[in-house]
Amino acid sequence: MNCETCQLKELELELTEIRDVLRCILHTIFFHRTLSLVRPKDVDCDFLDITYVQCGLPELEKEVDEKIDQFSAWVEKHPNRRSQICLSFFDEKHRHPGWFVNKTERIYWEQWFINLQVMFPKRYSKSNSSKGLTNIQANAVEETSTRRAALEASINEVLFQIIKFANEKKDHIPAIPDRIFNHEIMIPSSDSVFGWNTDVIRRVLNSGHPYSL
Amino acid sequence: MASLSDSAGAGSGGRAGAELMVPQFLLKVLHAILAARSPRPHAPPPPPPAASAFRRRDRWFHLPLHLPPAAEHLPEPSPAEPLVVDVYLAPSGGGPEEVLERWTVACEPWPSPAAAGEGLAVNRAYKRCITLLRSLYAMLRFLPAYRAFRALCASGQVYNYEMGHRVGSFSTPFSRAEEATMRTERLAPVETQLGRLVVSVQYLPSLAAFSFNATSLASAAIITDYVGSPAAEPMRAFPASLTEAAGSPSPQPSRRPNSWASPAPWPHTMRQPAKFSPPPAHYASPTPSPPMFGYLHSRFSGETAPMSIPQAGGGRGPMHQHHQNLSEPSRAFMFPPPSPKYLRGEAGRQESPTETNRSFKRADGIRMGDLYANLPSGYKIKDSRDESGRSSGVFSSSGSPQLGFSRSSSRLSMQDDTDDADFPFAVDDVDPDSRPGSSGGKDTGDPVGSSFHKSQDAAVGYLVHLLKSARPLRDFSYSSHTSMGESIEAGSTSSFMSRRTSDALEEFESFKEIRENLLARSRSWLQDSLDKS
Repeated sequence: MNCETCQLKELELELTEIRDVLRCILHTIFFHRTLSLVRPKDVDCDFLDITYVQCGLPELEKEVDEKIDQFSAWVEKHPNRRSQICLSFFDEKHRHPGWFVNKTERIYWEQWFINLQVMFPKRYSKSNSSKGLTNIQANAVEETSTRRAALEASINEVLFQIIKFANEKKDHIPAIPDRIFNHEIMIPSSDSVFGWNTDVIRRVLNSGHPYSL
Repeated sequence: MASLSDSAGAGSGGRAGAELMVPQFLLKVLHAILAARSPRPHAPPPPPPAASAFRRRDRWFHLPLHLPPAAEHLPEPSPAEPLVVDVYLAPSGGGPEEVLERWTVACEPWPSPAAAGEGLAVNRAYKRCITLLRSLYAMLRFLPAYRAFRALCASGQVYNYEMGHRVGSFSTPFSRAEEATMRTERLAPVETQLGRLVVSVQYLPSLAAFSFNATSLASAAIITDYVGSPAAEPMRAFPASLTEAAGSPSPQPSRRPNSWASPAPWPHTMRQPAKFSPPPAHYASPTPSPPMFGYLHSRFSGETAPMSIPQAGGGRGPMHQHHQNLSEPSRAFMFPPPSPKYLRGEAGRQESPTETNRSFKRADGIRMGDLYANLPSGYKIKDSRDESGRSSGVFSSSGSPQLGFSRSSSRLSMQDDTDDADFPFAVDDVDPDSRPGSSGGKDTGDPVGSSFHKSQDAAVGYLVHLLKSARPLRDFSYSSHTSMGESIEAGSTSSFMSRRTSDALEEFESFKEIRENLLARSRSWLQDSLDKS
């Protein structure tokens, strides 16, 4: 069974929007890949004018929120970096390589890669006069409104990307269970820090200038 | 699984299963569309009940839906004819109808009996229809018409437009002008024994032409939250926004983004103390000797100073918030000048060679820790960063004092003029200035030179440089504050936009900086070797 993968479009967002965006994307994917009986639940985003659908499963909502909290904590420690979250669906196969040995193997049949870049907001200072303050605040409002509108448009592109992929790729889905498919949500870990540094060092050393003459 | 079981049973009958499934799918689609496009101003939608409350018929395709009132008097769609649903807006007092969406669901028959999908399993088609229906259900909420539907459903609101629908098997073709403004989304079809099930929608991508949206939302956002309040005294602006934020969640959810946008700087401000508090504790714990403790103490005091200002600012009114914002650039500019003095003082205390030996031992310990511990903890990483800082200072002491000082000063000025992201490397470059200035610099030069002749020491050197590269990650948070300070002084949006677009250039500059740093060390080591020979 081949594993189908979908790379979603990268989104640029702020720290306060992480929860809204990830909830919207993850639950939209789960809604399309939960083929057992669901109780659809409409949810409005807090900061964005978008309504998405959840499966009405409290355990799933709790799991998603816990992963989002972990991801937010990681982002706060690693600001202004690109990150990727992977949602994988898999089947478990129980094998018996020996008489007294039981082994469970995971067979992944679908993976979704959510690409994010979290930006930190711009700060605004006090002006000498109230008129200046009004202008600064007006500019801030306009900038925030424009950026939010662009983000909403990008999120809509991602949502339609999910819909398109979910309907074009169906042959690889296993039989419908009486519950949600086996899945896992992978978020970046602290190990990637050393990976980044190693990559930097490797690039420098391969730049054609040896460290020792 | 009852529905699927029925379908499975009907599978043995072949065509009979499809004849049962396709009409149910069309009916389900009709209910889903009308439930999300037929406003009920006086009867808000009830909360979704438990799954067991739905009838068996409602569980088709594992998506239970109640029968919407608008569909009570409509005949069931026929699988032989397409289902077309037009959703339109019309002025309340009467006027021309504007079609927002046109949903078309059709079961396209196979071209010939031979091409019919006799071998298609009903189970497979049923499973695919589940996904297709879920996509339609979600799409009904993603399209712009849903916002108009929600606005018209809001209780207590009166608008100058009404939303209606027409259901039939055919529709009036769009004019060329209408066709040009419409966008089309077509979902992948599902093959059944009767034919291919196709779902498509033509919709208006923007509802800006309808003034009811602009009139209600824009006026509320502009006048109430931002224009009216700042016109009054600045002291009242913040309490007004808080009042709006407290009052707006349930009655008017669309206004929440505007109110939340105002206090956005506060959470970031409150989060600053947390960033500064953990590192000092970790740095202080592994220090056994008094000189090391003194060194860390000075660093701890340097990092503790910014903590008090954000706390005080966070606990008070907006005036103090502005004061705290103004203090950001001053702190940023105050950082570079004091650091050389502190480092020189520290270098003076480390004249004895035993200190150098201890630093090397710690480096070995770190390397062993990295080798044997596959899961390094945050504490180890931070300890390693601190050690790499000291070790890099020892290495850099072999260079000439004047050249090192001039090089670092030029880099500082260039970085201040161009990119603030390189500021952490400037902090690292300050180390060479303090080491050569002390009399102990020459004594420490010999161990540094001898270390390059040993393979083990080469490995240690590589590890030191690896850890040294990890150091800027901790300073990036401070760099972001510095960049914010710069943007505050500039006071323009264009600089912020240019910074975002030049992220790639900044990264490239960082790599160049690392390479130049390594080359400088290599040259200094070569000069030292030549001097010895």
